[in-house]
Amino acid sequence: MTPDVSVDVGGLKLRGPVLAASGTFGYGTEVPLLERRALGGMISKGIFLRPRAGTAPPRIAETPSGMLNAIGLQGPGAEALVRDYAPQWKEWDFPVLVNINGESASEYGELTARLDGVPGVAGFEINISCPNVEQGGLYFGNDPRAAAAVTDAVRKRTKLPVWVKLTPMVSDIGVIARAVESAGADALCAINTVVGMSIDLNAYGPRLSFRTGGLSGPAIRPLAVHLAHQAARAVRIPVVGIGGITRAEDALEFLVAGCTAVQVGTATFANPTAIAEVHDGIAAFLEAKGFSSLAELPRYLPRD
Amino acid sequence: MFLLDAPITGKRQVARGMFVIGMRAPEVAAIVRAGQFVNLGWDPGPLLRRPFSVYRSDSEHIEVVLKAVGGGTARLLAMEIGDRVSCLGPLGRGFDLTTGARSVVLISGGLGVAPMPLAARDAKAAGLQVTWVHGARTAAELCAESDAERVVWATDDGSQGTAGTAVAAAPEADVVLACGPNRMLAAVAERWPDAQVAVETYMGCGTGVCLGCAVPLRRGGYDRACTEGPVYRAADIDWEVLPSHLPYAVTV
Repeated sequence: MTPDVSVDVGGLKLRGPVLAASGTFGYGTEVPLLERRALGGMISKGIFLRPRAGTAPPRIAETPSGMLNAIGLQGPGAEALVRDYAPQWKEWDFPVLVNINGESASEYGELTARLDGVPGVAGFEINISCPNVEQGGLYFGNDPRAAAAVTDAVRKRTKLPVWVKLTPMVSDIGVIARAVESAGADALCAINTVVGMSIDLNAYGPRLSFRTGGLSGPAIRPLAVHLAHQAARAVRIPVVGIGGITRAEDALEFLVAGCTAVQVGTATFANPTAIAEVHDGIAAFLEAKGFSSLAELPRYLPRD
Repeated sequence: MFLLDAPITGKRQVARGMFVIGMRAPEVAAIVRAGQFVNLGWDPGPLLRRPFSVYRSDSEHIEVVLKAVGGGTARLLAMEIGDRVSCLGPLGRGFDLTTGARSVVLISGGLGVAPMPLAARDAKAAGLQVTWVHGARTAAELCAESDAERVVWATDDGSQGTAGTAVAAAPEADVVLACGPNRMLAAVAERWPDAQVAVETYMGCGTGVCLGCAVPLRRGGYDRACTEGPVYRAADIDWEVLPSHLPYAVTV
């Protein structure tokens, strides 16, 4: 019998534990090759209240087992999202969370208020960890008071699930995790990209026009497993693991390390069907090990 | 869009350091148009796929042209007949040859030959008279293959054909299609604002989701080479902002 892989994550019942990570799946209208049955859910490309052009090229650079990106949260703004994408999401059989961004706590709140109640919007992933914007982003993610203030501003504007995506660029992720849990987050997502830099030896300068970028891909996976585990030890709310997941075994590492679900991101760029392979591989692993559900998977999560 | 395991069926050298690789990809071959590309992955290979314009196709096969610019492309070139490449495509919007014009000039610089054999094929099918202007630094770097009624050669050092750039050597025509280094395409834009140019950019996914292949537009903002491009009206691109030199030479 096929194992039950459904999960409850921060107020959402998902048919599977694998979600598409923000910024790697657009608004879900592209990637026609993926079998959508495998999607537990999707996080939309990060959005601000108003349209943003993004950063100048070059925006990406491949690095060993990973890539740097500095897209700069290019996006059409909240009104276009409500008009063009949410009506499509409403028809889909998996939830879509919107990755929300702002330059101040009140802007996050304003954006939440605009999107709350829009059919098709199933919840929010607060981005307090984007390394590629001048204002906001990472600043909110590495200060527990700022992180809590943003979470609180969003929490006050919606009853939908609120997830908070954490940055690895902190000295103790547990402190930030507890701060946003106390401010009312329903789940945490760990981790966002790691700030990195790569130099072009012909130009004697950075390969990215933004100078730095967010490192993703298998290169960051052990770092991500550790930080997701640290976050999970620090809080009682669910943690969604992200970072370099390419195969089912990678996802299972996060799940055993204490995560409730996972997001697949960069792997989709190279393999448009990666999410289905991860989903099917998790079910096959559980079956091979004799578990009838994902809930039976042993976890390594000693409490602090 | 298809995702295929495509066996390599042939490999030949067409210039110094420049090779054509053929693969069996019938679903792609059946529908690919000039200027479209495939995103190829191989194992062992780089993490991300690499985009290649489709060079030629028949009913079963496609060909791509490449130079070994790094470890990844060197490994692709080292693969043997029967080895499999993961082929995602066809991708992007190609050249528009349904303009009702009577003549077309194809301008290619270096690896910019990549989309031109298909462009010549489609132009001939549309009843256009085809001139191909083919430029490189030296005669040894000029692609030896060409398909056109009239071929003009140009080399920077004058070792074959006209001394100077392909753009300078190009005659007038109703329609201008160009592919090559972005610096060359900026020169095309100066002379023919309405030319259709295929740009090269770094590319992440090839399918429109990563926004990595941003092309700066004169009207402001960016769009995606993989989806709205890689073919653009020359005057629509902000050439000042589009990187002119790609050290890792991801060639579309």
